[in-house]
Amino acid sequence: MNLIELVFRNSFRKKTRFVLTCLSVVVAFFLLTTLAGIDHALNASVSNSNQYRLMTSHKISITRSLPINYQQKIKALAGVADATYVSWFGGYFQNEKNQLAVMAVDHNSYFDIFDEYQIPTEQLTSWKNTRTGLVISQSIADKYDWQIGDKVPLSSSIWMDKSGSFNWEFIVSAIYQQRDNTTDSKRIFFQHLYFDKARAYARNMTSWLSTQIKIDADDEQVSKAIDKLFTNSDAATRTTTEQVFIKEQAQQFVDMAMVIKVVLIAVFFTLLLIVCNTMIQVNRERLNETAMMKAIGFSSLSLVKQVYLESLLMLALGAIFGSLLATLTLSQVQQQFADFLPGIAIDPSHYLTVLYLVIGAAGLCSLFPAITIKKLIISETLGARA
Amino acid sequence: MSTLSTSPKKAVDKKMNNIILKDINKSYSKGDNTVVVHDKFNLAIKSGDFVAIMGPSGLGKSTLLHLMGGLDRPTSGHVKIGEQRIDDLSESKLTRWRAENIGFIFQSHHLLPVLSAQGNVELPLSLTPLNKKQRQQHAATALALVGMAERAHHFPKELSGGQEQRVAIARAIVSDPQILLCDEPTGNLDRKTADEILALLKKLNRDFGKTIVMVTHDNKAAEYASRVINLEEYIASGIEANSAQSPQEQQPFLVEE
Repeated sequence: MNLIELVFRNSFRKKTRFVLTCLSVVVAFFLLTTLAGIDHALNASVSNSNQYRLMTSHKISITRSLPINYQQKIKALAGVADATYVSWFGGYFQNEKNQLAVMAVDHNSYFDIFDEYQIPTEQLTSWKNTRTGLVISQSIADKYDWQIGDKVPLSSSIWMDKSGSFNWEFIVSAIYQQRDNTTDSKRIFFQHLYFDKARAYARNMTSWLSTQIKIDADDEQVSKAIDKLFTNSDAATRTTTEQVFIKEQAQQFVDMAMVIKVVLIAVFFTLLLIVCNTMIQVNRERLNETAMMKAIGFSSLSLVKQVYLESLLMLALGAIFGSLLATLTLSQVQQQFADFLPGIAIDPSHYLTVLYLVIGAAGLCSLFPAITIKKLIISETLGARA
Repeated sequence: MSTLSTSPKKAVDKKMNNIILKDINKSYSKGDNTVVVHDKFNLAIKSGDFVAIMGPSGLGKSTLLHLMGGLDRPTSGHVKIGEQRIDDLSESKLTRWRAENIGFIFQSHHLLPVLSAQGNVELPLSLTPLNKKQRQQHAATALALVGMAERAHHFPKELSGGQEQRVAIARAIVSDPQILLCDEPTGNLDRKTADEILALLKKLNRDFGKTIVMVTHDNKAAEYASRVINLEEYIASGIEANSAQSPQEQQPFLVEE
């Protein structure tokens, strides 16, 4: 019989209570780890953005369009190296469950500015020469088994062509790899020229513009210059760095993450109270035994150590199972959300955070029992005064 | 820390474990009131003695036992066991001292239900540097001594009240303390079982030289003791001179103080 053995035996003294408390820990750490995975994806998009690129959208809302001719006006500004424009197509393949991130881009400039997409020269040339051509990611090609030359029908829930159809025909012209393999954007691109001529409305308009600034240019000054240029036009603009733009676009997710975080803190705090309460209850039930152990020579410290180890065991088991479950779930979900939220993954440092949380929470849960043990008067606990 | 000797101990250093309570004042606060339990109380118990303390409830019998065992501290006065004054020891030193010198036997056995008889008896030995095998051997010896060798692997819920108390006695003696403090050790037992337990205590006193102080309400139990202190009469006498110790035996303590 040693201390660890006693801790184990005491932990499983009331199995139902132990299992139920452990399950609440599992739930908390499952949520914590899941959120960490989503957080990782959101932050990955931002960190992969280019610091020399500016994004210009309508001042009122990203959903409002801007004239395509803004591109030339922006290009003429000092500090600007190049500019391009993009329209959001949305789209899905065959049914709405297969949502895709499809964008119409200026075929002459887009891939010069967004050089992280690596496309073989002959494929890029082929795409530029094919009006209905698509540039797809390798992962999309693998997922749908699309090959260069394949005809691919894509549907849009936003854009209708002149014939009144929401179904658009494309040909796969190029497959890109990404320079940075840590994230896979899984985007699909096609020519804005085709889009503009074929769509039923909003011709000569684009969703947003991207500007490549010169290395020695000041992003803030160029941003201000762009916005100033269109201040008095029908479509005033708002220009930010790409990082800010992505953050703002992801704002809805970030806000959701914030809400989840707040809920999670509440859940975690409640969990802490549950485990704390369990440990207080356990300690109260064993007060006579604790007093007896103190009487026969166990120090308060060694008794507190036992309570701490018991809390630690309960929390550690819950954390291991919760985190493991979340990791497995995320690895499954990752595939399904890869098109819209790539980069869902658990950073190894998260497990270190879990470890710290478990150690800290066990300490907090042992606090009240520790005070009780320290203050326990053996003579009063073990026997009435006679 | 010493551990259980397997052979009876006839020769005990008489001065080693004399218990001396001098000018003890003990009071408790109960709300706004202060309850005085002992006022200038003196008592000396010789090493190797088997003393039964009797008397009506509320006189402070258990309090005396707790003071002797370092479970409680006097409001004022001195408690000295052998050469060690324990009332002014720090909490940690007192805990260590208790582990090495005192065995407690309570009315309720307070055995850990998750441990077998063997495990419960081994418990105090986990505070010693003994290895697992040595701990098991000592526990087995203690259990054999109290006639519980056959039940070593039984859990408390599988034992009768008398058997549980025997295990509690084995736990009290496994570290081989010189003093056993027993608070109503037979209070929850039937006559026959109580007699068996008392005989066991007597054996520990007689054959192993343990100093035993037992608080009891049971006249029959007191018959097993070599000295009976009726606390009511003892206090009423006003001099607390009923101590078996002669003034000479008390002298070292008095001189030191």
